Amino acid sequence: MFSRMAPRGRSGLGRSLAELGLLLLAILVLLDGTVLSLVAAISSESDTHEAKPVTHKNTSKKSFPVLGIKYDDVSVPFEIALWVLLASLMKLGFHLIPRLSNVVPESCLLISVGLLVGGILKLARDEVPPVLSDRIFFLCLLPPIILDAGYFLPIRPFVENIGTILMFAVVGTLWNAFFVGGLIYAVCQIAQDQYSDIDLSTIGILPCLLFGSIISAVDPVAVLAVFEEIHINELLHILVFGESLLNDAVTVVLYHLFEEFMDSGSVSAVDAILGLVSFLVVALGGVLVGAFYGILAAFTSRFTSHTRVIEPLFVFLYSYMAYLSAEVFHLSGIMSLIACGAVMRPYVEANISHKSHTTIKYFLKMWSSVSETLIFIFLGVATVEGEHHWDWIFLTSTVILCLVARIIGVVGLTFIINKFRIVKLTTKDQFIIAYGGLRGAIAFSLGFILHSEHKRIFLTAIITIIFFTVFVQGMTIKPLVELLAVKKKNEAKRSINEEIHTRFLDHLLTGIEDICGHYGHHHWKNKLNRFNKKYVKKILIAGDRSKEPHLIAFYHKLEMKNAIQMVESGGGSKLNSSFPSTVSMQNIQPKIQSPPSARPSERVLPQLTKGREEEIRQILRTNLQKTRQRLQSYNRHTLVVDPDEEGFDDLFLKKRRRMELDWKVCKTSSHKSSNAIYSQAYVKPGAENVPTIQIDLASPQSPDSVRLLDEVVQDQGLTMSLPSSSRGAYKTSGKDDGRDQQTLLRCLSDPGPDPDDDDDEDYDDDEPVPT
Amino acid sequence: MGSSRSSLRRVPDGQQLLQETGFSAAVLLRLHQRFQFLDKDSRGHLRSEDLEAELSENPMGDRIVGAFFQPGQETVDFPSFVRVLAHFRPTEKNRTRGGEQPEPANSRNRKLKFAFQLYDRDRDGKISRTELLQQVLREMLGLQVTEEQLQSIAERAIQEADLDRDHAICFDEFRKSLEKVNIDHKMSVRFLE
Repeated sequence: MFSRMAPRGRSGLGRSLAELGLLLLAILVLLDGTVLSLVAAISSESDTHEAKPVTHKNTSKKSFPVLGIKYDDVSVPFEIALWVLLASLMKLGFHLIPRLSNVVPESCLLISVGLLVGGILKLARDEVPPVLSDRIFFLCLLPPIILDAGYFLPIRPFVENIGTILMFAVVGTLWNAFFVGGLIYAVCQIAQDQYSDIDLSTIGILPCLLFGSIISAVDPVAVLAVFEEIHINELLHILVFGESLLNDAVTVVLYHLFEEFMDSGSVSAVDAILGLVSFLVVALGGVLVGAFYGILAAFTSRFTSHTRVIEPLFVFLYSYMAYLSAEVFHLSGIMSLIACGAVMRPYVEANISHKSHTTIKYFLKMWSSVSETLIFIFLGVATVEGEHHWDWIFLTSTVILCLVARIIGVVGLTFIINKFRIVKLTTKDQFIIAYGGLRGAIAFSLGFILHSEHKRIFLTAIITIIFFTVFVQGMTIKPLVELLAVKKKNEAKRSINEEIHTRFLDHLLTGIEDICGHYGHHHWKNKLNRFNKKYVKKILIAGDRSKEPHLIAFYHKLEMKNAIQMVESGGGSKLNSSFPSTVSMQNIQPKIQSPPSARPSERVLPQLTKGREEEIRQILRTNLQKTRQRLQSYNRHTLVVDPDEEGFDDLFLKKRRRMELDWKVCKTSSHKSSNAIYSQAYVKPGAENVPTIQIDLASPQSPDSVRLLDEVVQDQGLTMSLPSSSRGAYKTSGKDDGRDQQTLLRCLSDPGPDPDDDDDEDYDDDEPVPT
Repeated sequence: MGSSRSSLRRVPDGQQLLQETGFSAAVLLRLHQRFQFLDKDSRGHLRSEDLEAELSENPMGDRIVGAFFQPGQETVDFPSFVRVLAHFRPTEKNRTRGGEQPEPANSRNRKLKFAFQLYDRDRDGKISRTELLQQVLREMLGLQVTEEQLQSIAERAIQEADLDRDHAICFDEFRKSLEKVNIDHKMSVRFLE
């Protein structure tokens, strides 16, 4: 989520100056806020005085105020903006100090900043600064993070491990809650602390259980923040992360359950059963609400082809509505949000333009990043501001019990789960899962809204746990991962081979399962896919895209990326080893069924013999290599003369002469068409315009610059069947132009590349979109 | 499990198959029952039609069925049936293998070899472009795509995987291109555990 960009090659002095500047800026902002609020306090007093003289206008005529201060009107947005600005500056600051950000996870730094700021504010002002009110947290800060997680959730590993995840989420959380709650109660009863002013034994069993249920839940925000930076393998990531998302339902139910019980005073068996039913309702209800809104969003996106600008808005609005609707009915808002994002994604992505896709991605990342930063800073501030009650026995026993509960829970559950898993979880995996059970701001907010008489002690304990997990566990998990040599995330992108073979294996396994007569995993997946293809896609995806098989969509994406890379490579970057131009060259195949009265400019090229094809491919390959060398020599930064250029020129001239010869032959007979391709191939590297074009392309790629290539082509008398700009964009000079136009439009509407693009492939956002 | 022991005698070459394939007795029995179910005329062997009936919707159906039959043979008896399915047994971890023991049927290598043979129908050891292109891709993607698209995909696939530049994918290249995929998981059917 937060790609760290190391500052490149700046001088040491420059860097330290920059950092100093940033620090000054941050302090300035802080002072600014403080000063202005002080001024506000003053001006608010003077404002109230001014209200009275208005009625006696004639009595006191004051001069026209040229410069006045009216802070109250803008105070709320101003403070919010100030906080967000501060948070973002802090984030900037951390990443400028790479050594710090390598050792300490961001969340720790942010909490520390929060502590600092809270301390400063406490000293400077008398009022309590804006604390993390639970409403702001649950309604504004949490949804972006969850939506970001849900929208880019890697569906395939999630569904493959759903059983394990559910076990951990439901059974694990329940176990944690009861274990911690129960034993804390026991500890309270036994403990006789002379130093504490609260008699611990007055804490009843229900408040203890309530407390247990609050701190037993693994927090998605904290997990995301820490796991992002350690890059462990996909399986562990999805297990811990999935658990943190799904245990929200359990937490919601337990919380409300115990709260109800506390108010009513007594528990009966019926209530317990109702609790169980309520859990199912909360979980399933949340998912259904989310899925419903997801389908609505997908359906809406079908019609947005004329109003591309507001496409992202629909995604955000529907998701937020899903969250709020779930919250209205006390269903699990988090699960609703996840379901909404996961359901709508494949269909929405098939419908919206590339620019909208990029917009959605970046907005989600931005919002979730800001949210996370704010949450951690507020945690720090709230720690300083809150009223605390330090009771050592309670605190230490809570920490110990939490750890023990987690370890026992994970080990016990894994033992059971491994009986059902094909790929078993090893001890190392178990350790990471147990160690990665971080608590975070959700626990804090839930504690904040408690009505219990023991709120202060609970809150202190919650904060202690959060600090412990985030600081101690968060900081040490990275070296531990290195130490234990846990498998790291696979950074490489998916290749088309993998895609083809994976599909192939899917079919194979489904077939084998059918032969065995076993209705297994593959069988149901196949059925779902077929249902999806037959009915759902037709409704939710606009136009021809509904029939496009996943493999083709994947292939298009890869080719487009290559094309963009190719265009950008004027800047000197290496080309991908696959040669898209050879492929697209081949695609200029004859329109077999084109009418005989074709326009004279359109050239009909019959099929090639295999031998000729091989020759051509060979030639193309060598030429592309030469082009690559040539490109590197025309680096925009250095106009170094390439020693090869001399020799290359000769080769050039020879080829050009041959080419011209071929051209003449071409124009007369059509069975020299193979030479047409032959020479067509030369147009690009052969024409003299290439160097200049490449220099133009070194600047941010625009479709305009690429069009130059097209002009060159046209000059030579050959027009491709689709007069389009992006070379890589037309792979399918297939039967329907309409579809190609659509593809083109979608391709061209957003060249926006990104080095870590690739939401479909890895976790950083990547997820293969299933059919 | 005493009853399964006695029923095992009904299975032809039961003990030997147990050792060869590594299946448990219960699974072997289930497979035998399934075999008898598929063998509708109780001939003691299966023909391709019997198997194809189960795979009517599968685009790779006839390819899969073809894998059960040795080249030239028209029928499949129970041992061959079981031997093919042995490839899909889930692998056990932490098994120590003596040097003389042959590689078990469900090792990763054997699984991959099986998959490779499904591609490489003419058994020349390579997946050529036509094999990949015309047959596999065409089967998988059906009529929804054009010839050009198929060609470009096949071309790109071969370019990516082909390391020794012979314009075909041999078994090692195949294995390499799948190194990130968890074959042990992907090519296992839990039923056969």
